[in-house]
Amino acid sequence: MDQEAEKSSIQAETSEVSNSDSSDPVTRVRNLLFRQMLVGIKDGRFFLGTFHCIDKQGNIILQDAVEYRSTRRSSPSPMEQRCLGLILIPSSCRSSCHVDCAIEEQLSLLKF
Amino acid sequence: MAEKGAEKAAVDVSVAQRTSIPSGESAVWADVSPLLEAACKDLGDGDLVHGDNFNLFAAMSALEIMDPKMDSGMVGKYYSVDEAVENGAAPVPISFEKTVDVQCTIDIMDHLLACEATWHKGHSLAQTVFSCIYLLRPDRTSSHALLHSYCRVIRATCKAVVSVVSDARTHETVGRSFLELKQCCNDLVLQFPESLEEKRKSKIEEDLFTMAYGLPLDGDGDEKCLSLLNAVEETISRQLRACKAQSSRRRVIEDVEPLQTNLDLEEGYCKALLCRLRFRKHFYHVLTSMRRPQGRGLELARKHIASCITELECVHKSSKFLRAIASGTCEDGIEDKTTASGSQPIGFDASLNCRLSAPTPPRSIKILSWKKAIEYFSKLLHHLDIICSYSLEPLLEGVLQFVVQFQKSQPDLVARAHLQLLLVQDGKLYGRESIFSVITRAAALPDVTKNHDIQKNEYIMQLGQLVINMLKILCTNAAWQRRKLGKMLQDWRVIYVQLELVFRKDFGEVSGIPDDENVCMKIFQHILVWVEEQTYWIASRFLILGFELELYSPSEYCMVYWYIYVVLIKLVEKKHIKMAARNDTSKQKVKKKRESPKDAAREYRVPPAVLFVQCQIFLVEGLTMMLAALKNEHMILQSPSPFNTEQERFIQHFELLQKACIPDHVSYPSFKESTTYARFSTLVMYNYFKDAQRIAKEVKSSFSNDPEKLAELRKIEQVAEHNSIALNLICRVGALDRSLKVSFEFSHHPYFATAVVKRS
Repeated sequence: MDQEAEKSSIQAETSEVSNSDSSDPVTRVRNLLFRQMLVGIKDGRFFLGTFHCIDKQGNIILQDAVEYRSTRRSSPSPMEQRCLGLILIPSSCRSSCHVDCAIEEQLSLLKF
Repeated sequence: MAEKGAEKAAVDVSVAQRTSIPSGESAVWADVSPLLEAACKDLGDGDLVHGDNFNLFAAMSALEIMDPKMDSGMVGKYYSVDEAVENGAAPVPISFEKTVDVQCTIDIMDHLLACEATWHKGHSLAQTVFSCIYLLRPDRTSSHALLHSYCRVIRATCKAVVSVVSDARTHETVGRSFLELKQCCNDLVLQFPESLEEKRKSKIEEDLFTMAYGLPLDGDGDEKCLSLLNAVEETISRQLRACKAQSSRRRVIEDVEPLQTNLDLEEGYCKALLCRLRFRKHFYHVLTSMRRPQGRGLELARKHIASCITELECVHKSSKFLRAIASGTCEDGIEDKTTASGSQPIGFDASLNCRLSAPTPPRSIKILSWKKAIEYFSKLLHHLDIICSYSLEPLLEGVLQFVVQFQKSQPDLVARAHLQLLLVQDGKLYGRESIFSVITRAAALPDVTKNHDIQKNEYIMQLGQLVINMLKILCTNAAWQRRKLGKMLQDWRVIYVQLELVFRKDFGEVSGIPDDENVCMKIFQHILVWVEEQTYWIASRFLILGFELELYSPSEYCMVYWYIYVVLIKLVEKKHIKMAARNDTSKQKVKKKRESPKDAAREYRVPPAVLFVQCQIFLVEGLTMMLAALKNEHMILQSPSPFNTEQERFIQHFELLQKACIPDHVSYPSFKESTTYARFSTLVMYNYFKDAQRIAKEVKSSFSNDPEKLAELRKIEQVAEHNSIALNLICRVGALDRSLKVSFEFSHHPYFATAVVKRS
């Protein structure tokens, strides 16, 4: 229930955010909590999980994370996946980071 | 801006497509890296962005990605076994040049041996033996007979070993063993943090060991590994004969294609290969014949063990030849190498199937060196030989003595598993002696008991199960064994109480009972005494194992020896009653035969087994009193523990014994009471060590055909002698010279300490 409420509040805020460019990044990142996040790391794996926490150094904690890895270096290749649960991704090995969002929202996220 | 956004979106969509990770419905993956970066800049030190459900403690348990100790999915050189194979990481043949091919094959064999030993030492199969890509793809090697036969026998051997260990398991689960471990750690952590790692390893060794999910242990046709191995062996021995004939310029016997192209090296290579193949063959035979029911294969196994040892020596010797050839590559650091030649083997990658070792976190593994592996296998073979040469003694006391003695040599998991499977098969001792008849013999019951209805009694059957469990537990590693024995004490106590109740109910108010019931009563009486004796034996083993595991700190020796003392007193009492009863029955028989009054009047002699324990009792009593006197006269610096009081430590150490009331009415106050007044002035008047020494000397002659007991007595004698001298010295000088320092060492006996007196 809480999560739902939060989500709707995020939605509300994001629409607000899209109107005001001045909103500070920390608040906007806070609004991403509980969203699905896809993090790519340097050895080529991806982790998909619920955004749980980030610290000053940029280390991210994901909940209920799933690991995706390709079985071959050359793409395209079949993917293997397995569940890992709570994971911490150090910022040093992070190569990409995406959140799942509607197209209209995406535009607002890009601005700052 | 909008254009740029669209461009980005297109890129993002391609990310999602490429990775085939679906985003939500009518949604896209939006890149938030720049946003995160900006946010991090704005965050203060130590600030976190998190939701209401965040719990720092829980977050600490998160699996850290890219940490080699936690992240088993780290991508190594290759993404998968198939990719590794396609990239030529494990070519077949290894080289088109035959000499190189043979050389590389030998390196693979050697590295596999090192991997196997590492596995036996408690690492996962996936990260050791099955780091070999050739093993992972059984079909690929079929064109290379030599490598193929070797891979097959390795897989079959691993399968046999896994089955031994998993059959022998005491059914501990990972979760439970961690709990047990935690308990163990509580005792340990304050005094011996450095030994923790060892303890942890020994706890989970069995769990890691048998984990073989997803590994091709059942290669097609691996069960026929020996026929292929024999064929290859035959070919190579013909090649060896041919090259020997050629070198001695004799006639060429047959047209044999040589093993490889360099004729100068032919003999050396043939020999190096032959001993390796033969070792595998005999080792596989050892494993299969030891598994034959009722110990029927032991004699055959011994022959194969002997052959194994011989071949292993040849393997060891071959390293000189192999190293000489490979010397171009490396000279130094041969000690750490995993092959006889010192070269790096082809076709291994531990990271490929690292994830198969889940659910355990990956451990960074150091494969044992080849030399260490050889040492390991010769030790293992030696231990297996001890098991195979065991006489399958039907008397329980003998069995227990054998197992305890065997454990002293610190056998590894595989040897222990074999011993356990030999002892307990189909719920019988060695698969042939019913446990009831074992109990009958152990409790010195009359022969008629064997077929008596009493064995169908519910509690007698439970007792049988306890005996089986005890035997199994005695074969496990020391840490696990101690914990289990401690817990088991309560079961033994409960069974005793239950048997006693039955006994009271059935024979409580009888007088002038008929003969048949008389037998029944006798059986019960004997069994009760024996159950008590056995319980105290377990208790003493439990206490002594604490020394082996280094669980006691010097400041606790006094209470530990005191507890051993009270347990041994009870043990000797029960032993004595049992033996006296046995003597009674045998004497009666004699009397009936001879009917001579002289025999009955013969003086009663204390049995040597009783004297043996008596001698230990004097020793521990002496140690207790000496330690107590040192403490009472402030000659040992007692730094009070900052964490807990002496009473708390007493409870920590002996909780399991206290819970089971072993012995009755023994508690911390009774320990205090018996040690508070210990003084050197009184100790010197009655020197317990002298008594221990005297009895040890006396009783030695009774054990002239039991070398183990004899050795034990000799050690006891030494400890007693040293301590006796130390005691006298302290008495004479101690009061005058305050600089006298007394410490304790285990230089003469693993758990009876020797006092060392020094002037500081």
